[in-house]
Amino acid sequence: MRTVLDPAPGTRILMLGNEAIARAALEAGVGVATTYPGTPASEIGDALAQVAGRAGIYFEYSTNEMVATEVAIGAAVSGVRALVSMKHVGLNVAADALLTFAYTGTKGGFVLVTADDPSCHSSQNEQDNRYYSLLGGLPLLEPSSPQECYEMTKEGFELSERLELPVLLRTTTRVSHVRGPVVVGELRAAPGKRGFVKDPGRFVTVPAVARERHLVLLKKLAEAEELAEASRFNRMDRAGSGGKRGIVTASAAYDYAMDAAEELGLPADVLKLGFSHPLPSKKVIDFLRSHDPVLVLEELEPIIETSIRALAQRTDTRVRILGKAEGLLPRSHELDQGIVERAMAEAFGLEQRPRPAAGTPPADLPVRPPVLCAGCPHSATYFAVNKATNRKAIFASDIGCYTLGVSPPYSTADLLVCMGSSIGTAGGLAKVNEQPVIAFIGDSTFFHAGIPGLINAVHQRHRFLLVILDNRTTAMTGHQPHPGSAHGPPGSEVVPISIEDLVKGCGVKWLRVVDPYDVKLTTETVKEALRQDQLAVIIARRECALIAPRDEHGAIIKKHYIDQEACKKCRTCVDRFQCPAIFSIDNVQSIDEALCAGCGVCAQVCPYGAIKGRER
Amino acid sequence: MTDVYLVGVGGQGIITASRMIGQAALSAGKHVLLSETHGMAQRGGSVVCTARIGDLHSPLIPDGRADVILSFELLETLRALPKASRSTLVISSSERIVPVSVSTKRLKYPSVQDVRAAVEMVTEKLVIVDAPRLALQAGVPMSSNIVMVGALAGTGALGLARKHFEAALEAVIPRKIPENLRAFSAGFDSVKGLAENL
Repeated sequence: MRTVLDPAPGTRILMLGNEAIARAALEAGVGVATTYPGTPASEIGDALAQVAGRAGIYFEYSTNEMVATEVAIGAAVSGVRALVSMKHVGLNVAADALLTFAYTGTKGGFVLVTADDPSCHSSQNEQDNRYYSLLGGLPLLEPSSPQECYEMTKEGFELSERLELPVLLRTTTRVSHVRGPVVVGELRAAPGKRGFVKDPGRFVTVPAVARERHLVLLKKLAEAEELAEASRFNRMDRAGSGGKRGIVTASAAYDYAMDAAEELGLPADVLKLGFSHPLPSKKVIDFLRSHDPVLVLEELEPIIETSIRALAQRTDTRVRILGKAEGLLPRSHELDQGIVERAMAEAFGLEQRPRPAAGTPPADLPVRPPVLCAGCPHSATYFAVNKATNRKAIFASDIGCYTLGVSPPYSTADLLVCMGSSIGTAGGLAKVNEQPVIAFIGDSTFFHAGIPGLINAVHQRHRFLLVILDNRTTAMTGHQPHPGSAHGPPGSEVVPISIEDLVKGCGVKWLRVVDPYDVKLTTETVKEALRQDQLAVIIARRECALIAPRDEHGAIIKKHYIDQEACKKCRTCVDRFQCPAIFSIDNVQSIDEALCAGCGVCAQVCPYGAIKGRER
Repeated sequence: MTDVYLVGVGGQGIITASRMIGQAALSAGKHVLLSETHGMAQRGGSVVCTARIGDLHSPLIPDGRADVILSFELLETLRALPKASRSTLVISSSERIVPVSVSTKRLKYPSVQDVRAAVEMVTEKLVIVDAPRLALQAGVPMSSNIVMVGALAGTGALGLARKHFEAALEAVIPRKIPENLRAFSAGFDSVKGLAENL
C-alpha cells in the first residue's frame, strides 16, 4: 500500500490507525480536510495530503489548529463533510472555535480527531482530551484498534449529521501508531460545491443567539445519549467464560484488559465503551446491577470512573466500584499489560502466576536520547549564541526540533510551555530580569503562534533578542510544508509568505538574516543584536539537513575529518559542539564520514584548524 | 502467539522491518499488531517497535515476555534486556552506532564480548549477525535491516514460511527487489545450522 487510495474494497490491509482514519474519511465522502502536524496525529494529514489531488478533495496544512478548525467549519456549515486532525495540545488551540461550534452545530458531518499522548512520548503534557467532550457537549468516539479507527470515522460523519453536532474522535499513541488489519470499503467521489444557506439566527453567536443555542445543544445531548445506548460501539465483551466480575473500559485500556484477562485466566464480562460521551447510562446501570465487583480500567483521568460512581449513587445502585480512587491504576502515563494485570489481580483477588525472571540491563548503560542531526543548522546557531553570550543569557524556547538544544552542550532553553510561548515569555522575563533574554522559535512555530507575541513585544517595547530558526520546513513531525513554503501538498498551489516581511510588518526595526553555517557571522550578529536598545530579530536561515539537496555522494558540501596530528584534544568539538558524526573514544576525537553531512561547521568550531574538508 | 521486540537507532529502518514481519504474518493468515516509535526517533534516539503475532489486542510487550528480541544495534540489545527471559531468542546485529553520550560523558561503549556476556546471563539463545558486512557483501549496503529480517526468518522462530517473508519484502519495499532479496538471503543463510540449537 503506497497510499490510502490503493487498497481495493473488501481487502484486509495492515494499516496504521491514522491511515485507517484517512481512508475512512475518503470513503465517507469527506470534501475538506485540514490539519496542523503533531505527533501522534501527523500521518492522518500526511496520508490525505498525498492523495487529495487524485481523490478530488481539498486538503491543507493550516497555519495552526484553530485556523484548521475554522476552515473546516466554513465547509461543514455549507453542507460539506469536513475532517480536522491534531494532537491533544492542538485542541487547546482549536478549542475556542470548537466549543462555540457545538452551539451553532453543523450541516455537513464534522469530525475532529484528537490524538492524545499518554506518557508524553512527544509532547509537553499528557492532558486527557476526553474532558473536551464534557466541556463542549460533544459526542465522543474512542477507537481501540485500527479497524475501529476506520469504522468510527465513517460512522462519526453519520452521527455528526444526524445530531448536527461536531463529533470528537479521540485516539492515543497506542491506537494511532499501531498497525493492524483493517478491512476497507468503497471509496466515494468527493462532493462538489454547495450552497451556503443563510441562517444568522443560528450561525452568528451574539448573546441572544448563544443563549438559545445552548438549549438546543442540551437537547441534542439527550438525543446523543439515546444514540449511545443503541450504538454498536458500546458493547459487552467476554473475557474467558465471562461472569459476575465486571470490567468497564475504553480505548487502549480495553486492549490491555483483554490480554491481561487472558494471561490471568480471568473470567469476566467486559463493558467496552466506544461511544463514551454522553455515557450510555442505562447500559451502564444494567451492568452495575448485574456485576460485582466492577473494575473501571481507563488511562490517565478517572472520567468514566467518576461518572459511573455518580450514576451508581444517583440510582441507588449498590456495587463495589474499583478504580483509581482505590489506587489500582495511576492517573499518569500510559498503561500496559503488566500494570493492568496487577490491577486486575488485586481487584479480583487473583494470583499472578510466577514467570521466568526478566533480564536487567547493565548499570550505567549510555543513554541515547534524540539529538540534533548531523548538519543541523540549529547546532551551529546554538554554538554561535553560546559563544556570543558566554552562556550569560536567559533562553526562552519553543516547540520543534530545536527544543533539543535544551541538552548539554548547548543548554539553550530555560523556559518552554507551549507553541509560541518563547516570544511571550521572553517579554515577561525581560521585564523583570537583568540578564539578556534570547527567544528561539522555529519557522513553522513562528507562523503558528509567534506573530501575536511579536506584535505585542514591539508595541509594549519589550527588549530581547528573537532568533527565528528558519530551516524551511516543519521538521520534527515529518517535513510538512508551512506558510513560508513555496510548495504545498501535491497538486496544490500556494503563495509563500516572507518571514522578513512579516517581522517588519510587526514593526520590528532591527532585523538581520544570517546563514548559521557561517559561525563567525552568526556570532558577531548575535553580539551586535544584544548591544541594541530595542527588540532585535535575527532570522537564522539554512535548510534542514535531512531535506537539503545532496549530490550523488550524499554530501551537502564536503565530508570532514579530524587531522589527529593537528588535534590538540581541547574537546571543543564534543564538549561545546555536538554532532552525531563526531565521536570521542579514549580521548581520540574522530568523524564517522558515513554520518557526516558535510556542513563544515565543525571546521569553524575547532579553534586549532584541525578539522578539515576532504577533497574528493 | 509470538512476540517480537525490535530495537535499534532511529534511521536504521526498524519500522520497515516491523512492517515486513507484520505483512509476512498477515499473508500467512495470522492476526498481527505492530507498534512503532515515531517522530523523535529519526533524531538518532533509541527506537522500539513491536510485532505481536496471534490473537492479541494490545501492542506492547510486557517485561520478560518477548519471544524474540531483534536488535539492529549492539548497545540497544543491552537496553532491551528487560523484555527478555531465559526463553527469549536474541538476534542482534553487531552494528555499533556510538551515541553522543559516550563522547561527551566519556563513557565506555560495550564490546561484542560484553554484550554476549550480559545477554547470556539472561538467555542462552543468542545469535549475533554481522548485518552491515552481509549487506555490503550482497551488494546492497543500506539493507542491514533486510538482512536482519532474513536472519529472523532463517531461525524459524516465527513459524512462517520463507515465501511469506519474501512476498512481504516486495509488498513493503516495491523497488530494488532482486537486490533486497539477496540481502534477505544473506541474513537467512547466516543462521543456517543454528536453528536447531535455538
